Amino acid sequence: MSELDPHVLDADGALAEAHAGLSRAQLLGAGLAATGALLALPRRARAAQLSKTDTDVLNYALSLEYLQAAFYTEAERSKAIRGKAGEAAKVVGAVERAHVAAFLDLLGSKAVKRPRFDFQGVTENPRKFLKTAVAFEDLAVAAYKGQAIRIESPAVVSAALGIHTVEARHAAWMRHLYGIKPAVNAFDAPDSKKQVLALVEDTGFVVDSPRVKAKRKPGYTG
Amino acid sequence: MALAIALAGGLAAMAASREDAGPRAGASPQRGALPSPPAPALRIARPRPLPAERHLTRWAPLRRAVVARARPAAGARPVASLERLTPEGTEHPVPVLGRAADRAGRVWLRVGLPVLPNGTTGWIPRRAAGQYVLVRTRLVVDRAALRLTLLRRGKPIFAARVGIGEDRWPTPAGEYLVRNRLHGYDSPMYGPVAFGTSARSPTLTDWPAGGFVGIHGTDRPDLIPGRVSHGCIRMRNADILRLAELMPIGTPVTIR
Repeated sequence: MSELDPHVLDADGALAEAHAGLSRAQLLGAGLAATGALLALPRRARAAQLSKTDTDVLNYALSLEYLQAAFYTEAERSKAIRGKAGEAAKVVGAVERAHVAAFLDLLGSKAVKRPRFDFQGVTENPRKFLKTAVAFEDLAVAAYKGQAIRIESPAVVSAALGIHTVEARHAAWMRHLYGIKPAVNAFDAPDSKKQVLALVEDTGFVVDSPRVKAKRKPGYTG
Repeated sequence: MALAIALAGGLAAMAASREDAGPRAGASPQRGALPSPPAPALRIARPRPLPAERHLTRWAPLRRAVVARARPAAGARPVASLERLTPEGTEHPVPVLGRAADRAGRVWLRVGLPVLPNGTTGWIPRRAAGQYVLVRTRLVVDRAALRLTLLRRGKPIFAARVGIGEDRWPTPAGEYLVRNRLHGYDSPMYGPVAFGTSARSPTLTDWPAGGFVGIHGTDRPDLIPGRVSHGCIRMRNADILRLAELMPIGTPVTIR
């Protein structure tokens, strides 16, 4: 698979359910009066208002948020990551799921579907979990930074910056837990989409659906 | 220098307004000189913890052929050899029932095994299994009532009468997994769709392809409900088609 394939379907559904519950709660909530003009539009109209470039950037960001949300969610469900790292996984996982829900809400039918992930046991090994978490968070920070100048809508820039700083806090937190200094550089360089997707592909974490259906005569006992 | 003074003044005003919680916010002339930031395009909800789910089960396809062992250790007694593919050529799902780490920190999974006696479990290295897939459905086959019920999150969403094994070829009680789904074949006795399970006939042990119990349609709907099969669970064709719309692969199966 050459990149995060939007056509690979999700059988899990946990994120979609979280999205449905969260977005409806938000839509029905009372505190929406202060949101911007884009948010004031119905969901379909909001997605239609997005330029092609902004839609592409948002879907790219959503793909990374899917990856992170699935990673922390699986780690939490495995119950193998304990102590401070386990607590961080819970907190960061909830944040990443909220990010996914927000992107899905904004993009509507234009949202890419969640790929399938096979974390190959990394979510069940505390040391490997933290090492990967550092890599993912650093990657997300560099990816958001890499797209900032491409975004056309000020409202989308504002949203991206709001998430970018949160990802940077996550990066610092995971680095601290992993035992490396959170902030040693005077300048953080951006990563291009090509660089980011190549790194994700190298992990082997994005996989196809298991092939469990076939056109074939059964050999069951009958 | 002028910029530095302006920034310092602005920051001091911001600090003062935050300490004062509101009424003075925006009163500083330095802040008013710049436009307010645009409202973000995303509405990000308050993060919520994962819900506790009682009806969530997990399976994983095998990445390679592997020996399942009695304990989570490379030197433990072999329990069964598992192939990467099922006899039908599909990937081989196993239910994940538990996990443990050995002394070297390697992760092992306790999985249900498609071997006789039914209900056997064993340990495989985590690396031998692929992605985890979560399922919220469960299929319950009540042999006394000759009825099958599909549950989602513990609630019935579909039920149908079924045919099960004759007394000499009983449908085996136990906990199993839906392993695959076959379609597009030309064999009316299996109906339009057939699901394979990890249950095995305890009597037809020399059946070709291993004697696995299936859930499928039929060309004899007049025999349903009844004890009419070699162990498979037969359904009317309209019912198996409806079940196929609702039941994902990996659904656990309880036969009681």
